[in-house]
Amino acid sequence: MAGPLTNYRFWAYAGFAILLLALPLVGDEFWLNRVAKYLCYGMLGAAVALTWGYAGVLNLGQGLFFGIGAYAMAMALKLKSYTSLQQGSDQPVPDFMLWNAQPGAPTELCCITPGSWMWLPFQWQWTGVIVAVVLPAILAGIMGRIIFGQRISGVFVSIITLALVLLVRLVVTDAQPLTNGFNGLTDLGWLTVFGHEFDPYAKGTYYLVAVALILVLGLSRLLVATRAGTILQATRDSDTRALYLGYDVPAYQTFFFAVSAAIAGLAGMLYVIVSEFASPSFLELSFSITMVVWAAVGGRGSILGAAVGAILINMIEAHVSETESLVEAWKAIIGLLFVVTVIYLPKGLAGFAHERIARLAGPRAALQLKEEAGQ
Amino acid sequence: MTAALMLDGLAVDFSGFRAVDGVSMAVEQGELRVLLGANGAGKTTLMDLISGKTRATEGKVLVQGRDVTGLREHRIARAGVGRKFQIPSVFSGLTVRQNLEVAQSKRPSVWSNLRFALGMSEKARLGEVLELIGLEAEAEREAGLLSHGQTQWLELGMLMIQDASVILLDEPTAGMTQGETAKTAEIINRLKGRHTLLVVEHDMAFVRDIAERITVLHLGRVLAEGNVAFIENHPEVKAAYLGKQGIA
Repeated sequence: MAGPLTNYRFWAYAGFAILLLALPLVGDEFWLNRVAKYLCYGMLGAAVALTWGYAGVLNLGQGLFFGIGAYAMAMALKLKSYTSLQQGSDQPVPDFMLWNAQPGAPTELCCITPGSWMWLPFQWQWTGVIVAVVLPAILAGIMGRIIFGQRISGVFVSIITLALVLLVRLVVTDAQPLTNGFNGLTDLGWLTVFGHEFDPYAKGTYYLVAVALILVLGLSRLLVATRAGTILQATRDSDTRALYLGYDVPAYQTFFFAVSAAIAGLAGMLYVIVSEFASPSFLELSFSITMVVWAAVGGRGSILGAAVGAILINMIEAHVSETESLVEAWKAIIGLLFVVTVIYLPKGLAGFAHERIARLAGPRAALQLKEEAGQ
Repeated sequence: MTAALMLDGLAVDFSGFRAVDGVSMAVEQGELRVLLGANGAGKTTLMDLISGKTRATEGKVLVQGRDVTGLREHRIARAGVGRKFQIPSVFSGLTVRQNLEVAQSKRPSVWSNLRFALGMSEKARLGEVLELIGLEAEAEREAGLLSHGQTQWLELGMLMIQDASVILLDEPTAGMTQGETAKTAEIINRLKGRHTLLVVEHDMAFVRDIAERITVLHLGRVLAEGNVAFIENHPEVKAAYLGKQGIA
């Protein structure tokens, strides 16, 4: 890909980064808190683009990794909350465990409810941070090795991932004494780094999320630009050809699947820091499918596009939900938006922008772009 | 010198049906061997067995003296076997240049490919191959937009740059115009010597252009082996495959 195209791509990323960092100049803390949540969704959009757009693997259970990240962070922050520290034990004990404890159970984190010992390592907040990113990656690595190793592809991968997220949701809601079931984890403490407390409604927290998103987008973009990224796209186009060139195709698919899972885990972790709750609704199928819609509208072939798609849709949704007559209609609107994009802009907003810019850049570049867009 | 490709009593049994039934042959270094045979003679199955797509139930495959029988496909590819399928298969979403880059990577693992630029010698080789297959002007085009002939040449270029010691070609001229066929013959003739080739082909004019030795398969067995003249005049071959007119 030559000259002007590579350049405008770089400027698109740089412009987006500058925009994110400049937002605190124009908005108040409440608005920034809301935007920070959307930035977490943007990260999810990028994660979906990485697997769906670049690897050709449609994961309908991306919410699983987001959920793991969210719960891991929420467990650590729950133990830091004021109420957890006030249960009359040396160690913090989450309030809901008391409500769920058997009569006569000791008020200790180790043994108040069956399995409550699993919370012990989360007294150290970094356990939550590390588990939130590493566990999704490891889990995705195992899933990938099994699924891709068996040469399972296409819709079957979607069905397996979809079933898995529902299964985990069932377990989480069922394990009430351990997870607070349907209620999720609320009343959380704040993340503290070197004495700085990340108040969800402070600009510092917004910057934390914004910088994380910029890094994720930049690094992902670099990752797909490596030879490994090109080979990954090659496996998407023809896994047989890649196999006969000597590539261990499942290894490539698994690697990027794990990277995508780690990004989703990070998004979940940051979301909890911003929103102060973790809920089993993260594990609902509709949430995972919504992420796919974001990526499709933004452009699954573009990491930045998918992220912007996610952020824009959520911003619009927030505005619409303030207009009462549109609240009910929102689901229909987003459905329609999805259908229209898939039919008229199969490459999403990013693909559309790609073509527009090409036309401006002159006939030669336009021709090249048109070809890139596959017309 | 060991043969580049050695088959020893190779057979596969599809629940009672023996598509390849004890084929033994040796293809020398740099040789171009043509496989002939009627439909169902076992030509494509033989290639499947060599490249690992299908597992042999009996016999052995040796590539440069190394036993690759039963290895997984990508391992056999790394042992030096390249394959072109009957239906052209390139990476349609990548540019011609990227297609060649993917084929060129010497180190197959994910970690060793987490880097950007090509080395100077790699770039030079890439340019060379682009010229050989006549696609220099198309280097930045998406492979999905190439014509049928160009797609086939790109795939041949990928096999060249992959530097496979043994290349299997399954009907490389299928669906090509005369002009395209001639160019393909030229490309294949250039591969001779540097690579060892095993080619399945039906177009007899093309076979005459490229063939040195021909192996004729019939019902999963080797019926005859020899040069074009020998095969043309072989009575059993005539009866089994070519019909009374001989090679047209």
